[in-house]
Amino acid sequence: MDSWVRFSAQSQARERLCRAAQYACSLLGHALQKHGASPELQKQIRQLEGHLSLGRKLLRLGNSADALESAKRAVHLSDVVLRFCITVSHLNRALYFACDNVLWAGKAGLAPFVDQEKWAQRSFRYYLFSLIMNLSRDAYEIRLLMEQESSTCGRRLKGSAGGTLGGGEAEVAVGGSAPGGSLPYLALQLRLQVLLLARVLRGHPPLLLDVVRNTCDLFIPLDKLGLWRCGPGVVGLCGLVSSILSILTLLCPWLRLKP
Amino acid sequence: MDTFTRFTNQTQGRDRLFRAIQYTCMLLRYLLESKADREKVVMKLKKLESSVSSGRKWFRLGNVVHAVQATQQSIRVSDLVPRLCLTIANLNRVIYFVCDTILWVRSVGLVADINKEKWRKWAARHYYYSLLLNIIRDVYEVSLQMEQIAQEKAKREKSMPQNHLGPCIADEETEWLQSFLLLLFRSLRKHPPLLLDTVKNLCDILNPLDQLGIYKSNSGIIGLGGLLSSIVGMITVAYPQMRLRTC
Repeated sequence: MDSWVRFSAQSQARERLCRAAQYACSLLGHALQKHGASPELQKQIRQLEGHLSLGRKLLRLGNSADALESAKRAVHLSDVVLRFCITVSHLNRALYFACDNVLWAGKAGLAPFVDQEKWAQRSFRYYLFSLIMNLSRDAYEIRLLMEQESSTCGRRLKGSAGGTLGGGEAEVAVGGSAPGGSLPYLALQLRLQVLLLARVLRGHPPLLLDVVRNTCDLFIPLDKLGLWRCGPGVVGLCGLVSSILSILTLLCPWLRLKP
Repeated sequence: MDTFTRFTNQTQGRDRLFRAIQYTCMLLRYLLESKADREKVVMKLKKLESSVSSGRKWFRLGNVVHAVQATQQSIRVSDLVPRLCLTIANLNRVIYFVCDTILWVRSVGLVADINKEKWRKWAARHYYYSLLLNIIRDVYEVSLQMEQIAQEKAKREKSMPQNHLGPCIADEETEWLQSFLLLLFRSLRKHPPLLLDTVKNLCDILNPLDQLGIYKSNSGIIGLGGLLSSIVGMITVAYPQMRLRTC
């Protein structure tokens, strides 16, 4: 009970819970439609989803300030690439929240002249840019960690005779220049890279969570902007998974990717 | 902006801010309703008020657990009167949140056959009881403070005998009222959290009094009362040392 009280005291946590519920409703609605459930039940689920969406817009009022504050903090990061990616991502998020506030004003009847479609498209565009920046940052971090990992691996293999990889593989991993460009060699290189990636991600759960979350989130604006129509089922599932992962990072702060 | 972010990161902070906006709209509507060419503004204020009010329900979902926890904490209070008052007040809050959740279920359309009026009356009644008990507790704490200050004053006067002109018999009653008010003022000034809590409860009770028909006021007074109590709520969230402790 104490953990629920502490969790729900954060406004972001409540918003994430509503998001999870919204995408669960979307997924459920799609499943019910496919299996021919009663139109009454489908209408109820759609209505609940609509209420959740509007409620979330109200819960998010004021998040622009939060995003701008995070962008201000990110400007002081030491690494250039990280600084660029994170700052631009937060700025795009701030713009996304601003568009979202305009949509709320339109839906609440305060500004009836607001073109819902146009502003919704705008908001999804900013959301997409922010996700692309997040994924670029993730890719950069992964690249750094893989380089670090392969150099430590190489040093360990040079030092000791066998090592975890086989003798031939060890030479390939340590060496660098390829003896010719044969296909089996490339396949081996690819396998090594994949193994290295898996090792890096397994050793850094916050990074893994962030990658999975951003990838799942990516499907939502891609579908809504019409760039890659994946259907409401996929969107619902991806949204639900990413919401659960972000709730996890709120419950366990060590799982959050710093900075 | 950093303080604003930290404030709005707490659910209660955000909720109090929206509550302040909701009651400001109510107050402004009351003030502008009588004016001739302000119908559009009044309508926009009404729409804003109703969206904020329905959106705030999302902040209250799950608060039953908060109220149950508060009840458990209030059972452990040392002094008898506050323990009794707070425990029963928190129990009433639990019932209020249960009624509120049922009303939410009705408003999102999950269950259609719920008697909204009946549950609304129930919610208002239990909210009223909980506020009443909080006010009784505040009065008890104020009286304790006043007693303490009066005793200190008596001790000081005993140690330093003064020669003051005795009051004339006709002024005894006004003098008693004056000294009572002075004592009240001093004890509230010495204990700001108690003052804030008393103001908040007194402002909050106007709404259920109106809803239950016990004391019908107008939307202007309710709006002003709600706005004041929301501001006090925001102060206690921003400065936790201003919250009245239960010890």
